[in-house]
Amino acid sequence: MVLIIGGQSSGKLDYVLSLGYTPDMVADGVIDDRPVVYNLQDIIAKDPRNASELLPLLENKELVICNEVGSGVIPVIKNDRMAREATGRLCVLLAKKATKVIRLICGIPTVIKGS
Amino acid sequence: MRILLTGGSACGKSTYAETLATRLDSELYYIAAMKPYDDEAYAKIARHREMRSGKGFETIERYTDMAGIVLPKKGTVLLECICNLTANEMFDSTGAITDPYEAVIAGVNALANQCNNTIVVTNDVGSDNGAYEPETRRYIEVLGRINRKLAADFDCVIEMVCGIPIVLKGELPCL
Repeated sequence: MVLIIGGQSSGKLDYVLSLGYTPDMVADGVIDDRPVVYNLQDIIAKDPRNASELLPLLENKELVICNEVGSGVIPVIKNDRMAREATGRLCVLLAKKATKVIRLICGIPTVIKGS
Repeated sequence: MRILLTGGSACGKSTYAETLATRLDSELYYIAAMKPYDDEAYAKIARHREMRSGKGFETIERYTDMAGIVLPKKGTVLLECICNLTANEMFDSTGAITDPYEAVIAGVNALANQCNNTIVVTNDVGSDNGAYEPETRRYIEVLGRINRKLAADFDCVIEMVCGIPIVLKGELPCL
């Protein structure tokens, strides 16, 4: 599994499509039998307390795409805080399992784990 | 050469951009896109003016329509910053919202075409949890799109972290 992270609108999906993946292979905000999971942060936000249960469902995907959500001010709303924390912690676990981690900035990919 | 500098707030982008500009050229233009609304903005502008003083920049205050600028000579432009310019092009005084993408890109290109070197400062505003009002989310989305386009077109892209430049694309000019 390859983990792709980056801020909102940093070019993550465009990058994945440039690798040859097609939109029908991308599961947006859901986990099903498609090989690419997109907007993982939205899936986590539905039930942040049980985010770690997502790990076994994600570790055998080809690509997992998640927004970096941990910068900026700590959110006022409790569920937003929990979702933000859970997203960061799950990304740490996913990065450990991943063969490669790629970070997007201004549409530019930087490999931060693997080669 | 066209150089894009990104990073979070107060990571040293302006200081580094000024240093780059002064080492690249002696004909220097600083385009200030920050529209002052309050004391905080005036203080920030004063700080930037103080930082630039004695470095030989001619300052041009321009909040929208960069394509309308005619530079007196071919030199090096430092445009600061895309986040202000995007907001200025997007929201007018009546609160109406337009898509600023074309105006911002055309403005940067018009400046770059008149210069030996173009240094553009932007900002990373998309790396928090994104829990904002719809118009702010729209701003984050279009600023991301503009940043991607500039990064694709420019020769060199640098992320600043704690005042340290990290080259994401191209090579820094020999200084």
